[in-house]
Amino acid sequence: MGYLRKASKTLNQSNCISLLFNFNFNLTPLTSRITHQRFSLTRALFCTQSRQNSTKEKPIIDLSQYPPELVRNFSIIAHVDHGKSTLADRLLELTGTIKKGLGQPQYLDKLQVERERGITVKAQTATMFYKNIINGVDCSDGKEPHNYLLNLIDTPGHVDFSYEVSRSLAACQGVLLVVDAAQGVQAQTVANFYLAFESNLSIIPVINKIDQPTADPDRVKSQLKSMFDLDPSDALLTSAKTGMGLEHVLPAVIERIPPPPGKSDSSLRMLLLDSYFDEYRGVICHVAVVDGALRKGDKISSAATGKSYEALDIGIMHPELTPTGILFTGQVGYVISGMRSTKEARIGDTIYHSRSAMDMEPLPGFKAAKHMVFSGLFPADGSDFELLNHAIEKLTCNDASVSVAKETSTALGLGFRCGFLGLLHMDVFHQRLEQEYGAHIISTVPTVPYIYEYADGSKLEVQNPAALPSNPKQRVVACWEPTVIATIVIPSEYVGAVITLVSERRGEQLEYSFIDSQRVFMKYRLPLREIVIDFYNELKSITSGYASFDYEDSDYQASDLVKLDILLNGQPVDAMATIVHNSKAYRVGRELVEKLKKVIDRQMFEISVQAAIGSKIIARETITAMRKNVLAKCYGGDITRKRKLLEKQKEGKKRMKRVGSVDIPQEAFHELLKVS
Amino acid sequence: MLKSAFTPIYWVLSPKPKSPKISQHFITNTFSNSTPHVRQNSSSKQNLTITPSSAYIHLPFCRKRCHYCDFPIVALGSASTQTHDDPRVINYIQWLCREINATKVEENLDSETPLQTVFFGGGTPSLVPPSMVSSVLETLKMKFGLSESAEISMEMDPGTFDYRKMQDMMLLGVNRVSLGVQAFQEKLLKSCGRAHGLEEVHEAIDIVKKCGVENWSIDLIASLPHQTSDMWEESLRLAIEAQPTHVSVYDLQIEQGTKFGRLYAPGEFPLPSETQSADFYKMASRMLCDASYNHYEISSYCKKGYECRHNFTYWKNKPFYAFGLGSTSFVGGLRFARPRKLNEYMKFVENLENGSVNSSSDDDVNTKDTALDVVMLSLRTARGLDLKRFQESFGSSLVYSLFEVYKPYVESGHMVFLDVQRRAIRIEDINNSLLYDINSERRVAYMRLSDPNGFLLSNELIALAFGVIDSWKDYPSALQEAT
Repeated sequence: MGYLRKASKTLNQSNCISLLFNFNFNLTPLTSRITHQRFSLTRALFCTQSRQNSTKEKPIIDLSQYPPELVRNFSIIAHVDHGKSTLADRLLELTGTIKKGLGQPQYLDKLQVERERGITVKAQTATMFYKNIINGVDCSDGKEPHNYLLNLIDTPGHVDFSYEVSRSLAACQGVLLVVDAAQGVQAQTVANFYLAFESNLSIIPVINKIDQPTADPDRVKSQLKSMFDLDPSDALLTSAKTGMGLEHVLPAVIERIPPPPGKSDSSLRMLLLDSYFDEYRGVICHVAVVDGALRKGDKISSAATGKSYEALDIGIMHPELTPTGILFTGQVGYVISGMRSTKEARIGDTIYHSRSAMDMEPLPGFKAAKHMVFSGLFPADGSDFELLNHAIEKLTCNDASVSVAKETSTALGLGFRCGFLGLLHMDVFHQRLEQEYGAHIISTVPTVPYIYEYADGSKLEVQNPAALPSNPKQRVVACWEPTVIATIVIPSEYVGAVITLVSERRGEQLEYSFIDSQRVFMKYRLPLREIVIDFYNELKSITSGYASFDYEDSDYQASDLVKLDILLNGQPVDAMATIVHNSKAYRVGRELVEKLKKVIDRQMFEISVQAAIGSKIIARETITAMRKNVLAKCYGGDITRKRKLLEKQKEGKKRMKRVGSVDIPQEAFHELLKVS
Repeated sequence: MLKSAFTPIYWVLSPKPKSPKISQHFITNTFSNSTPHVRQNSSSKQNLTITPSSAYIHLPFCRKRCHYCDFPIVALGSASTQTHDDPRVINYIQWLCREINATKVEENLDSETPLQTVFFGGGTPSLVPPSMVSSVLETLKMKFGLSESAEISMEMDPGTFDYRKMQDMMLLGVNRVSLGVQAFQEKLLKSCGRAHGLEEVHEAIDIVKKCGVENWSIDLIASLPHQTSDMWEESLRLAIEAQPTHVSVYDLQIEQGTKFGRLYAPGEFPLPSETQSADFYKMASRMLCDASYNHYEISSYCKKGYECRHNFTYWKNKPFYAFGLGSTSFVGGLRFARPRKLNEYMKFVENLENGSVNSSSDDDVNTKDTALDVVMLSLRTARGLDLKRFQESFGSSLVYSLFEVYKPYVESGHMVFLDVQRRAIRIEDINNSLLYDINSERRVAYMRLSDPNGFLLSNELIALAFGVIDSWKDYPSALQEAT
């Protein structure tokens, strides 16, 4: 989670990933604490810590003391870097859930374990206990202050995981909407607000970082009013860094967020929020009990798969796995039930008691993860296939949201076609393969799932451009491409440049308004394909980094799409085929062949590099033949030197991918990623 | 055990598994036409080591270092044309002779072959006084024997010898001269830092001819800075007019650490472009072949029968001795490079004398390494790779892999497949499976690089074979002679 949070913070698509990883692996003092705590939240040290927890004679927490009225389930939503993670940490500290201060050696040890396990890009939960001592309405009439059970259901911030975000929000009744006091409302603030708003959640605006010299909380308040119609007097002013104003946060949670509405006396229904795979304990599911109660030993069934399990261990995340043997209505915790793979634990699934499964209505909203971006992953060296296979298997154990299918390319050999929730998700996956599993990969240009309709009425979903026939037997009558609704927030002086960019990307304006005198909010419908590669970088660069951007999946729209083939000496290179909009095909084709001409070394014969639509060549470059590469020098019998040189040359060739007689350097595939 | 099934006729597996090794005599047998097939004469242990019959002698002295040179040399100063009393030379020759004497020789019956070729290279061997050359030759004769008909070559530079010295050298037995002309343009000689001018070039040619050296070579360098196509044509024409029996055309290599290396980048002005440089190579090939020189190796041309026998030792992957600073020998399957610095070289000789180092090896040689060497060296020659012998040594699967990898290059004109009579196989027939049947009359018996297109891209083409050998799986894990 810490991982993902950072991911969302940097949002900067692909080139920020290395940064992300630096973050995770070389912790700077400033951020390490957050991460440590995140990690402890995240995966909780299944083998060491949690076992200790269970064997140590710890008083078992009696959850029966917390009826739904004393339970609050909430989430924190924010734009990147607005202080969401620091706020979460402070709340955990405030409630004594985690210890304040750093320098405990266990933390580092934990991190080590975490590193070995791998990090997860998942939602998280933490249970806190809090005694409300503020003289609220309830207390003023003489009632004792109550102990409350608060579940912080953390969500991945990034849009790629908005599917998970909405699932997490489904278990909440309210959110803290955190806004940076200086930066004000940003694109992700807007997107997250609407997610929460549409789920009918109570929204507590938190204006954070008020200790900054540039903080302007009044301006932010008026933005909240104008954008979201949030009452300025409802906003809490905090600095998670200095602790200012934090004391008001949890009382506000208790007062303003309603308790979970579930029925305690009805049969069990619980929502599966997330799952992890632990080598020793198997799949650990995070669940929210909506109705009824779950006890250790109960037989439970999944609505999505119909499979049955036994609840072997039940507890809460406090912040690590803390067994309680039971979970009551409205409570959030974990279940270990002997699932073998996270693939069985589908996020958003409803789980019942097996005995009552027949009569039960599943909770609304379960759908299978939607894969929006596909790319082919191939071992950089053909012989590494097994290694890559193994690495992907291990990685998908913890990230079931990646779809994996074997793929064969004439150019790149055996590999995999993987589907991802979004771009960041894809980048994270690539990077983890390389860094955690040492798999060297060549990734093909990411593509989105297009739908082609043929004259005979058949439809084809195209996840791989190579799979689309260049000269189909049936006439194509229509094609559709997925679109997104993009939210862009920018200082008003960049409007012109941004509008130019977005219209180049075939965007359709849906909304245009001023947040305040300096900020503009725009909504566009954009083909997903157009933002897949370098849109965000481009946006950042034309706005000097001031733009914020978010998007959500939208409908398919009909589009004039063509398949663009790349041919080397007349032979199509399947791994280089792309699908582009007809209006852009010539430009993209031109750019692709020019780029390839630069990266492909001259070879013994002339190479023609062509871009083609069907049988029509639209761009062509020629790489002239190498003229001379000879060592015509006689070293007094010292052939060692010559041989070394030739062996070096051979090694160079080995790293090439061969199509027909043409050797393609791996960089060529990387370079192609840069052409949109 | 499985492995033996692939090539049962040629291989006998070692009873105990060893790392991939091949015994010594297989290596040379790939080439030597005269030696009967391995299996027939491989009954005695002695055969495992073939005694070298060639020796390279490094005489490192030069008047000055040429701008392109990165050889281990000792610059004596431009004034030094006579060196009989130079203590550096006297001293070196003593160490050289000590090295020869300290070299281990296999004490067995078969090793009684005297040296067949001796090559004085440098440096500028012609700077060394004949008396000292004589002592080196005497030492070699005592140690290894020297055949009456031995080829004794010497690299000689214009301006370092006169009629008398040439005659003295001939009396000592030097019978082949490799004349370092490099270019026939005063300007070019100067700009590449040669210690001689054009006049000395003509004088030297006169001396060699007047002394009646029958077997001599003119060495030229192509692709020098500022060299134009006209200059190169002129150099080739004048070389041909001098009627040497041999011409070596080396291609300028820009080496790190040399003056040229600091000044120039390959392919950039004032060096000729890659295209120009390729044209120079082609021009040399065309003009020399027109003047009835055979292009018998990438950089060597000769009149019929005047191939450099010593160099063929290298190209046939046969063992050879080497003595002197920075030289590399190949004895017992070991390529041994001597120190390139004088003081380290002297230490090495001392260690050789007291037995703490050994410049040869009697270990078995790595099969793959040998295959690499054989391919690399033989493809540099016009004779090419003798597939029958190659297959006998390395098995048929490797030969088939080579066919596969080179077929497209026959079609593109870079490679030539030849039949038993050395007739080129036509491109139309290249996919005829009969060609690849070992027992067929029409089989491909040799493969070679074409002249000049294949030679020009030899690095690329040979690297392809390296790739094949690299992924060669079913090589015999260990070999030993049939008992």
